[in-house]
Amino acid sequence: MDQQIVNAIFIGSIYALFAVGYTLVFGILDILNLAHSAVFMLGAAVTYSMVVNHGQSFVVACLVGLAASAFIGVVIEYICLRPLRRRQAPAIAALISTIGLALVIVAAVEQGNVGSFFSWLWVDGANSVAFPAGTVPNPTWHVGDLTLEATKVLIIPISIALMLVLGYVMRFTQVGRGLRAVAENPRAARLMGLDVDRMILLTLVISSALGGLAGILFGLALGDISPYIGRDNVEVRGLAVIVLGGMGSIPGAVIGGYLLGLIEIVALVTLGSNASGGVAFAALFLMLVLRPQGLFGTRLRERI
Amino acid sequence: MNRSRLVSLLVVTLFVAACGSTGGGGGGGNSYAGKTIKLGAVYSITGAGGVYGPQSRDGAMLAVNQINAGGGVNGAKISLTVEDDASDKAQSAQKAQALIQQDNVLAVLGPTLSNSAVAVHPLAENLKTPILATSTTGIHIVPDCNFPDTTPCKYVFRDSLGEQTAIPDNIKAYVDDSHPKTGVLLVAQDDKFSSDGGKIVQATVGQYNIQLLKTIPFAKATADLSPYVTQAVQLKPDVIFITSLGGIPAKIMTSARNQGWQGQFLGGNGFNTATVSKQAGAAGKGARSASAWYIGNTFPTNKDFVDSYRKEFNKDPDQFAAQAFTGVLILADAAKRANMSLTSSSLASDRDKLRGAMESVNIQTPLGPFQFTSDHDVKQTVWVIQMDGAGGFTLVKSIQPS
Repeated sequence: MDQQIVNAIFIGSIYALFAVGYTLVFGILDILNLAHSAVFMLGAAVTYSMVVNHGQSFVVACLVGLAASAFIGVVIEYICLRPLRRRQAPAIAALISTIGLALVIVAAVEQGNVGSFFSWLWVDGANSVAFPAGTVPNPTWHVGDLTLEATKVLIIPISIALMLVLGYVMRFTQVGRGLRAVAENPRAARLMGLDVDRMILLTLVISSALGGLAGILFGLALGDISPYIGRDNVEVRGLAVIVLGGMGSIPGAVIGGYLLGLIEIVALVTLGSNASGGVAFAALFLMLVLRPQGLFGTRLRERI
Repeated sequence: MNRSRLVSLLVVTLFVAACGSTGGGGGGGNSYAGKTIKLGAVYSITGAGGVYGPQSRDGAMLAVNQINAGGGVNGAKISLTVEDDASDKAQSAQKAQALIQQDNVLAVLGPTLSNSAVAVHPLAENLKTPILATSTTGIHIVPDCNFPDTTPCKYVFRDSLGEQTAIPDNIKAYVDDSHPKTGVLLVAQDDKFSSDGGKIVQATVGQYNIQLLKTIPFAKATADLSPYVTQAVQLKPDVIFITSLGGIPAKIMTSARNQGWQGQFLGGNGFNTATVSKQAGAAGKGARSASAWYIGNTFPTNKDFVDSYRKEFNKDPDQFAAQAFTGVLILADAAKRANMSLTSSSLASDRDKLRGAMESVNIQTPLGPFQFTSDHDVKQTVWVIQMDGAGGFTLVKSIQPS
């Protein structure tokens, strides 16, 4: 069971990091950005490609991966969201347009083969690949019965530190106050002199960079990078996490991530692998029935 | 034209000529000059099966180009239309139907996944169009394509080594070497290929006195498989059996080795691509599977295939490329002997004649000497291979067909 708790904490960190980006956009814009899973994948794919196909060091590759993810945040705002906002389209329209962008990004990566138009981005088509051994040092420690891999252990402090920084920025800085004001009431924020469009753009850039980082760490620790890692592995669970934690709440996303990881593992150990997925979503259903606003959600008070 | 290309062309020309002279159908002399043999293929270029489909497409196209460059089949050129089913069963059936009814192809290759074959093969059978599976290895593909109806399907063939042969052969070969006592099975439960493989492992281990300590099913869309692997490793089995597709076997191997487990991995066709071996890296070293094909075989049909594939695509072929390449050779050989009219009004009778000629195929291929059994399944040598830890495979032993 000890090893399984380590497994739960590790996967919980990935869920949390992914869900924070999701919940940030939801908290401020009241829409679900379903392109977030594609950004998660793109962060990992670009970083891998920079290391393996373009011969860059891992640090440079990470920076390019993060920049590419942040850039997709800009694309999401200018192409998927702002034109719809101008027309006061309903939230469902934005949801659909982000799904569309996600499909385009996944398809672009999927088409990346040697000699194809997208070969600068990705050359492995639909294949799953892993960073070559030695890209980053990855010693394995054995503590008692526990096996701890450096890349997995690393994810935990990185996730917690980033979430603390984000929490601090939101709570105590001018930018954070601006973002919260937009979340509270965009029209009032605009009347108070805030550049609402700029705030929203900033939100999407931060959210997407976080999503990309989650993807890079996922690819590094699990040795699994393919066009489908976002869609298959974290998209639906990310939604589950923000429902558990409370839609739009950053601490909620963090706690929700770890909680979902733990629920899945406890179900696996006690009820067997057939039941684990079902139990996680049964917990989600229970939460929706008993406490629809989630653990940390607030109904009418300020969000974020 | 450079030398190796010339040599490969020559070999194919000789092959086509040989088919004409040794064919058992008696129609070797008929001329199709100026006509076209229209073939279709449904492969998974994108989606989960995209790990295998592109190589199948490339292997098939390579064979078509070589045959056409060598003068075609009795003078007829082959045209091959490849459709992507996005690894989706419904799309697969839709694409196959369009090929058969709108494009009026003579025969179809594919689909890539067993999961899609359960929709596509009965459709082709119903439309009386020969279909040759080049990568589907699940159970109830041939001859009972309409399972649970067990009436043999007349138009469905496969040149891919079924898991029903591959998994037991692989287990037997390992038992002969190492006498394992215990095993754990990790099986992806959400596709037919993987779950069929799991059932075959469960049905086989008892014969060799291997105690299956636990079967651990999982869903492929699981972010981290470590918890499942932890369950397996904690039971300290001699063998971990893995039946799954795509990158999953590699993820399981990496996780198990990181957790300190030193036993043997045994698997099925899901292991048999360089992509999986490369992704597993050192963690995969020694992982064994039975394969329809081995890259290192030096008999001429294989050596020529490997050389020309490398030349054309700048990478190594894999089993799926070899089987699709073989698929086109089989159809070309059958077409050569089928004495078809190849006119628009003769399509139904041409399909029937082709089907009949396919039953008596007996040719040299990159897979080795190839024939169909009376059930339209493969009759060929099985190659037990193991991952070399560096993205490739080495041959352990070969098993002749019984």
